[in-house]
Amino acid sequence: MKKIIIALSVIAFAVPALVQAQRVVCKIKGSDTCLPLSQKEAEVYMQKNPGSSISVVGGGSGVGLAALLSGTTDIAQSSRKMKLDEKIKLQDAGKAFKEVIIAYDALAVVVNPANKVNQLTREQLEDIFTGKVTNWKEVGGDDMKIIAYSRESSSGTFEFFKEHVLNKKNFATTALLMPATGAIVQSVSQTAGAIGYIGLAYINKDVKALKVSYDQGKTYVAPAVETAKNKTYPITRPLYYYYLTSIEKTVKPYVDFILSADGQKIVHEEGYVPIK
Amino acid sequence: MKKKITQSKFYFFGIILLIMAGILPAAAQVNDEQKADTLTPAVEQVKSDLTVLKRLKISGYIQAQWQKAEQAGIPSFAGGNFTADVDNRFSVRRGRVKFTYDNDWSQYVLQLDVTERGVAIKDAYASFTDPWTKYFTLTGGVFNRPFGYEIVYSSSIRESPERSRFVQTLFPGERDLGAKLTIQPPKTSKYNFISLDLALINGTGNTAVDFDKYKDFIGRLAIVKSNKKENIKYGVGVSYYYGGWKQATKFNYSMKDVTLKEGGTMKAFVVDSAGSAIGDMLKREYFGVDAQFAFDFPFGMTQIRGEFIMGTQPGTSSTTTSATAQPTQNPSVPYATTAIYDTTGAITGYTTVANAAVSSDAYRRKLDGFYFYLVQNIFQTRHQFIFKYDWYDPNTDVSGNDIGANAKSLPKGAKPTSSTDIKYSTIGIGWAFRWNSNVKLTAYYDIVKNESTSAITNKSPLKDFAGDIKDNVFTLRLQYKF
Repeated sequence: MKKIIIALSVIAFAVPALVQAQRVVCKIKGSDTCLPLSQKEAEVYMQKNPGSSISVVGGGSGVGLAALLSGTTDIAQSSRKMKLDEKIKLQDAGKAFKEVIIAYDALAVVVNPANKVNQLTREQLEDIFTGKVTNWKEVGGDDMKIIAYSRESSSGTFEFFKEHVLNKKNFATTALLMPATGAIVQSVSQTAGAIGYIGLAYINKDVKALKVSYDQGKTYVAPAVETAKNKTYPITRPLYYYYLTSIEKTVKPYVDFILSADGQKIVHEEGYVPIK
Repeated sequence: MKKKITQSKFYFFGIILLIMAGILPAAAQVNDEQKADTLTPAVEQVKSDLTVLKRLKISGYIQAQWQKAEQAGIPSFAGGNFTADVDNRFSVRRGRVKFTYDNDWSQYVLQLDVTERGVAIKDAYASFTDPWTKYFTLTGGVFNRPFGYEIVYSSSIRESPERSRFVQTLFPGERDLGAKLTIQPPKTSKYNFISLDLALINGTGNTAVDFDKYKDFIGRLAIVKSNKKENIKYGVGVSYYYGGWKQATKFNYSMKDVTLKEGGTMKAFVVDSAGSAIGDMLKREYFGVDAQFAFDFPFGMTQIRGEFIMGTQPGTSSTTTSATAQPTQNPSVPYATTAIYDTTGAITGYTTVANAAVSSDAYRRKLDGFYFYLVQNIFQTRHQFIFKYDWYDPNTDVSGNDIGANAKSLPKGAKPTSSTDIKYSTIGIGWAFRWNSNVKLTAYYDIVKNESTSAITNKSPLKDFAGDIKDNVFTLRLQYKF
């Protein structure tokens, strides 16, 4: 009897403690590309783990990583790898960090649905965004001025697009810099001659995603989870979470959840590419 | 009695509740209407005020330290000379507060240094970036001289407590008064990794008032890049300095081969006393090259930095430190009697005034200097190992026992070299513990070696250069940065 009472007591104390261990209170900041995914993951996690409170905001990868350094966020979400300069700053502040790939993303080039252009080569994209080509008729479209939308330089997507699509060339000075991916979607949906680039998860019926060719027009591939997964879509990239090792215990249950089968299922449902 | 009080309390709270039940909803309705009218403009006002406040950034750091010298009264580049009889000291090495106001394409910076030695201006400049191409930034005021890497590398993040000996000697205080043009493509450009600085400065250092008409030029071209994996970063720069200061006397010494009275030749200072050079510029010219590497290894980040400088420095017989005022010697008679004249030119009396300082003769030397840093982070911990080596050779034409030698055998018009011409090298070994973003503790030991010469011997252990002078320094520093 005594043993049963002890066992019951242990269970009575241990079960709440185990539940308590999954309770996560943290802030996530950074990449707009990661934003819808983090929001959904956090929402599901909080439903499954009452008492958890996870707030998610965007602002761009650079902003998130700067917030990690200044201690104003617990997790920095980033669509680019942390730069060495940022690592040095963290090191100078005596802060060790962990890097986790949570998903992959395909970067989609989008135009207004009224635009009759359906596909472009990388070279054509480079010419459009660097200002060499200024009219849609030069790339098989109507006689219409091209209005290029880009993210701001603090965005990881901006840097990725510049490096992998523009071949490190400068954006045209006429390109309009938008503070968030959502703003690009809205602008492209409302402007006939617009073109922009967004994360796969942001594609909706208001914009048209173009097929892209990286072999000078031999094959064109549409951005999709499947084409990104089988690596036929050329503009894909990993998405990262960065957090300090000093708070690993606090955030790890949530990070583990994203990496779990349930979390990766959400990754797929939200239009991102699972890591496995 | 107790019961009465309880009852009266009951009635009191009852009345209050009734009043609240009737009044509060009405009041809330009024407040809601008022909120609808006032909240938006109030938020707008707060946002507007916040935008202005966010433009002003206040930062700074304080470095409190304790130092132990190998012996009392040593001259030192580890935070200044130790006074006589002092072999250990507490000090506030730097107490900085910096105000930065960013206004889109312009920036205003004022930085003060507040220590037990007083208050000094470190930075006071305004800079403007052209809003069209964003390639050009013009800076005017007191700012860091854009020569090499260590000068502009902030003391708050530098791993060694002090800059290298050659930097402290040639660029005391690091700053100068002048104007600077920086050409660097904006962050959005493919060529953002290249920068060019062109500066025109007084050449007197910090906030010192210029004493001649000559201005100095500094140019630096640098690149900084990282590899795609972001685990290697490298930077390379080349720098050039051209300027000088006005020669005040007709005696101008430079190193030349001379024939000794006893036979043989050696290098010594030979005077040019033609006199035509008075008022001319004594050339000050340096060439510099610097490189920096950072490697993100699994066992911790490694940083390597090096910088080499060579050139010509005009100094005096007793120092090669860059002049902040017209170099002078102590006058032999400190006071003189001077007549007082009336408007007709007649003497009406006499007065005693301080004698004008005698201008010093100029000594030109060829120099070189170097430093090397190895900074190793211990895995991803807060601990860091520091190794540094630097040298400064103020006179590359002479070395070893030739320094100060044959003073009596030199021909007329020649002067021997002295302790001013001795080369110094310093090995620094240190450990840093970064407690958090604000607090850093550094323990650092400077092993200072001087070039020894049997020609300069003295009973004083601080002046006997026959061997190595015991002038090592240990520094324990606590830094708080915000």
